[in-house]
Formats: sequence, C-alpha cells, structure tokens
Amino acid sequence: MSEILTLSYGAAIREALDDGLARFPDMLLIGEGVPDPKTIFATTQGLREKYGAERVLDMPLAENGMTGICIGAALAGMRPVLVHQRIDFALLAMDQLVNNAAKWHYMFDGKQSVPLVVRVIIGRGWGQGPQHSQSLQAMFAQVPGLKVVMPTTAGDAYHFMLDAIADDGPVLFVEHRWLHHVTGQVDKDRPAAGLSRAARLREGRDVTIAAFSHMTIEALKAAVVLTEHGIEADVVDMRCLTPLDVDTVARSVAKTGLLLVADCAPEMASLGHTLISRLYQRQQNALKQAPRLIAYPNHPVPTTHFLANHYYPGAERIAESALELLDRRPLLDSVRRQLQSDLAKDQPDRSFVGPF
Amino acid sequence: MNVPTTAELQDLYYRMLRIRRAEEAIAARYAEQHMRCPTHLCIGEEAIAVGVCAHLTESDKVFSNHRGHGHYLAKGGSLVGLIAELYGLAAGCCGGRGGSMHLSDLSAGFIASTPIVGGTVPVAAGYAWGEQRRNSNNVVVVFFGDGCFEEGVLHETMNFAVLKKLPLVMVCENNQYSVMTPLYERQPARDIYQIAAAHGLQAVSGDGNKVEHVHALAENALAAARNGEGPQFLELHTHRWPEHCGPNEDDELGYRMPGELLAWKQRCPLLHTGRTLADARVGAEILLALEQQIGAEIALAFSEALAGPAPALASMERHVYV
Repeated sequence: MSEILTLSYGAAIREALDDGLARFPDMLLIGEGVPDPKTIFATTQGLREKYGAERVLDMPLAENGMTGICIGAALAGMRPVLVHQRIDFALLAMDQLVNNAAKWHYMFDGKQSVPLVVRVIIGRGWGQGPQHSQSLQAMFAQVPGLKVVMPTTAGDAYHFMLDAIADDGPVLFVEHRWLHHVTGQVDKDRPAAGLSRAARLREGRDVTIAAFSHMTIEALKAAVVLTEHGIEADVVDMRCLTPLDVDTVARSVAKTGLLLVADCAPEMASLGHTLISRLYQRQQNALKQAPRLIAYPNHPVPTTHFLANHYYPGAERIAESALELLDRRPLLDSVRRQLQSDLAKDQPDRSFVGPF
Repeated sequence: MNVPTTAELQDLYYRMLRIRRAEEAIAARYAEQHMRCPTHLCIGEEAIAVGVCAHLTESDKVFSNHRGHGHYLAKGGSLVGLIAELYGLAAGCCGGRGGSMHLSDLSAGFIASTPIVGGTVPVAAGYAWGEQRRNSNNVVVVFFGDGCFEEGVLHETMNFAVLKKLPLVMVCENNQYSVMTPLYERQPARDIYQIAAAHGLQAVSGDGNKVEHVHALAENALAAARNGEGPQFLELHTHRWPEHCGPNEDDELGYRMPGELLAWKQRCPLLHTGRTLADARVGAEILLALEQQIGAEIALAFSEALAGPAPALASMERHVYV
C-alpha cells in the first residue's frame, strides 16, 4: 500500500529536497538564504541540520559566478540545486545559464552533462513591484537545452523536483509563490511520469482551458462555478514548458472545439501564444471559434496595491471568457457574483498579512 | 625557484615548437576557406601554456577560452581532433559542433574552452570544488587574458574560490590587448595580480615568455593548490603576434606602439629557449630533428583529419536536452 501524504506545495518541495539529499549523495542545495532562519519560505527548513553545512549552504551574492560554479561542480559529478528567491535574480546569471548550462551537452558533442536544478520563484502581490514579481519563464523556455518546468500541484512539485535532481540536464524549476500554501496529495510511490507532459486535472466536454502554474488554480475555481451552470470545462495543467505538450491540448480541443489559454506571464511572446499558435497550425478546423488568451498586461507590475489589484486576471476573467466562447453571455452576471471576492488581489489568502 | 634541467628544457622547447608549428600550419591553410570558423591563434604566447601544463598529470583539469589551441595541445589534447574540429568534421574533438572556440578532450583532462570572456572561469572553480569534495588531489587550471580580469564573474569566482580554498590555479595571460584595445584604455594603472592578492589568492607575476620562469612559478602554485593552500593566481606577461582573430598579422592597423611588436618578437619564447639550449650545448642538429619530427606529425595529422567524413545531417538535433 502506498502512503499518500497531504502536504502544501511548499512542504512537498521540502520533502523532495529532503528525499533528494538522502537519495543522491552528490546533491548540493545552495542559494542566498537557503540555511537562514526563514529557509526560503520554509522549503529548506531543517535540511542543513540533517545533511550538514557542506551540502546545504548559503552563497555569496554572485548569481552569475555561483551559477557557473554550480555548472562546474555538476560537470565534476555533483548535483547542485541552486535557489533564487525571485526569478528576477536569475537575470544576473543569464550568461552562465544560457551560454554554458544549456549548451554544454550540445557543443561538446554529448560527452558531458550538467545535472543542475535552478529553482526560481515567481509570484505576485503585497508590493512586490516591478523587480520582485516578474514572470519571465518564457525567456528561459526559449533557450534550447534548458528544461523548464512549472508544476502546479503538490504531487507534481514533489515528483518534478526529484525528477529534476535525477535529470542529467539543467532544469529550471519555476515555483509560483502563491502555490506554496496550496495543499494537495503527494503519493511518493506514484510511477515516474518524467518532465515532459501536461496533466488533465478536470474532465469536461464543453470548453478546453489550458492553464499555466497558478492560473491552473484559477481555472479550477472557474470550472467549479461553471459546472453549477451546466458547463463542463476540460482543464489541462501545462506543467512542463519544454517541450510544450500540445498533444494533450489537441486531444481536448478535438472534443470541445473551444480553447481558452490562461498564462501567468505578460502576454507578449508568452507560452500561451506559443500554445495557441501550434494548436492553430495543427487543428484549425477543430476550432469552432478563435481561441482566447488570458495573460498579464505588457507593463511592469506597479508596487501600489491600488493599481496592482487590477493587474492580475483570475478565475472571474477565465469564467467570463468561457461564457463568451460558449455564447452563454446571459450567465455572466451570476457567475461573476459567485466568483467575486472581497479579498484583495495582492493577497493569496485571508491569513496573509505580509511581507513576503 | 627550481630551474629545469637541460633535458626538461629541451622537452619544453619541443612542446612550444609543436604549438607554434601547428598554429602556423593552420594559418597557412586558413585562406583555403575549408576551416570555416573564427580562429584565435596563440603564436608568441606558447611559453605559458607549456610551462604550466608541464606540471599537470592527466587527471588534473584545464579550462581555457577563445584562444585555446595552445592550452589544448599543451595538456595533451589530440592534434587530429583539433584539426578535424577546425574543419567541422565528425572526428573533430567536439564532432564539429564547436569549432576552434570550443575544444574538449576529456581523455587528456582538457575539459573545455569557450569564447564568452570569463565564461569558463567559474566553471573551472566549480570543477575544482567537485574535485575537492571527493578528495581527489587533482588541481584545476583556468587560462584567461587581461581582458577577462575586467569581467565581474572573475571577481565573483575569486571570492568563492578563496572562501572554499579551492584547488584552483588561475593563469592570467596578460598580453596587453583586448582585441585591439590596449590595457591602459580599459584598466587603471595597477598590477592585476595584486588585485587577485587582495581577494586573498596567493598571487605572483612574471615573464610569460621565458618558459623556465613560467615553469618555476607554476610549479610552486600547483604544489600550493594541491597542498590545500587554496587558489593561486599567476599573472604572466606576454604578447600576441597575429591579429586578434584570423591567420594574419595586423601591425599595419597601428593600434600598437611603433616597434612594440618587433620588440616582443625579439623576446620570442622559442628564440629565448633555443639560445639557452645552445648555451647548454644542445646541438643545432637536435633542434632540427625536433623540427622535422613535428613537421611530419602535423602533415600527417592534417591528412588524417581531412580523410574523415563530415558529420551526418541527422546528428544536427542530437544532444539537446528536452
């Protein structure tokens, strides 16, 4: 009998790092704040005490240099997991990530591998502002040789982290900060699925909603309310960005004929656009209407909550778009009422009082 | 400082001459348009690669940069593999995927050269960290130029290397030019090695054109790194004779002081060591025999390399992680 744990997404990551350190003697866990008292939103809690300061360590404020050092350590047989508390800091390491980690295996003819995991945390809210809450995953996904994963559920967070550690190539592990507190089931004995497929989280015949990371949670919220009005949404979690699993979405669209993509990134050159483009090229005739994309606006997030509160699309917008696609506009008002919340959009839940 | 014996010096001469003649052979054939990648020749700088690598075992590791042919050959990289790589052939040391600026020969402990300035410096330090973690007693050497000393990542790396006392030897080949821009336009007037010393590395500078001098400095640095004394820094002064990128000389462009190149040519590492050997009564016929041996090896290497096939088109997408 396999044991099924109920864990928050953040705790699932901690559990995976713990199991990874136990399973892989060459794994290192390194990053600014890894062993500090806040332990990267508690995702590294207790690990230094358990595995020692040689394997679980902080680092100098030198993102590019330390990424290169982790690449070199990986070439020498280590399995480093490097953490950036904000994806924004990974920009300082672009040279090493793009020019070295991603290319090494290819440019040296497959003879060397870089088993490196880079955790990057995206997120929103509570005054994170223009330089602490960007959603830059598409920039990284464009680089051949970097695997980019963005798990949504606690179960996927656990298994993807362990798969990423075991992977011989560089993996960018994108965590949405607002997922950290979302609880789910973790079956540690679940068969390995690899780092390459989307997951259908909800079956429905009427409309396909393909969503990324935290937008999947919003899509599920919308789907619950739509069900009450007799509308069944097929919700696909696009948990792996490279390669992008168009097949799973295509199968869904073949059934529903309607596609709504919800991305948690600025609209410009987003994965959402890539998904729509690929699907349209393959299956134009399966679509009864033009697909819809819900994404962030193409401007930085302002810090002030008076403005940021209107920046992020959520379940309400997803449900509205679904109703429009299905030509069920008369339902708009009641669906809006059901999804409306007085919770500010810069807060993940009522217990949250900031700061991150 | 230990002085190499005459036999050692003759061996160092041979290794330098082999690099010089290989580079000249590449330059001579470059205009044929079959080597279709940028090449950065190291003619004039051979003493540094040879003087440092002479002390390395096969299991010690070397990282290099865009000007890497000399380091690759000095560490024991395959000459045929290098030539085939320049021609983009399947038998190239990177299967033709890298060209002159990306070289690797794992069997020789030459891990990699890459052309983004500073790119290999942290990777070398990370490799040294890995070696240290498994108590291997191997040392990692990374070669870079004076231009690289301006890159932030080099200073980030020095900080961590000292923090962790890594078995790393950083070799700065100070040839005074970044492409065609002189050092004084890029850096204030201060000694590069002293900045490294301020980071906490054991650092010295010396004449990079006298192989016996490089040999002695490197011996000390490598022993210290191997003995757990932490990272070492060598600043070695030298000069690049050919143009930054390509087979020719470019003194007519006038970016050097008049007479500067000529003065450095008079300090040629081969000329200097040849004279020392002559003083030690190593006959001209011995050096001539070395010339002939090397000439034959290079001619054979070119014909062997060129006899091989081009990479299969179907291999284009191989080795991408997805």
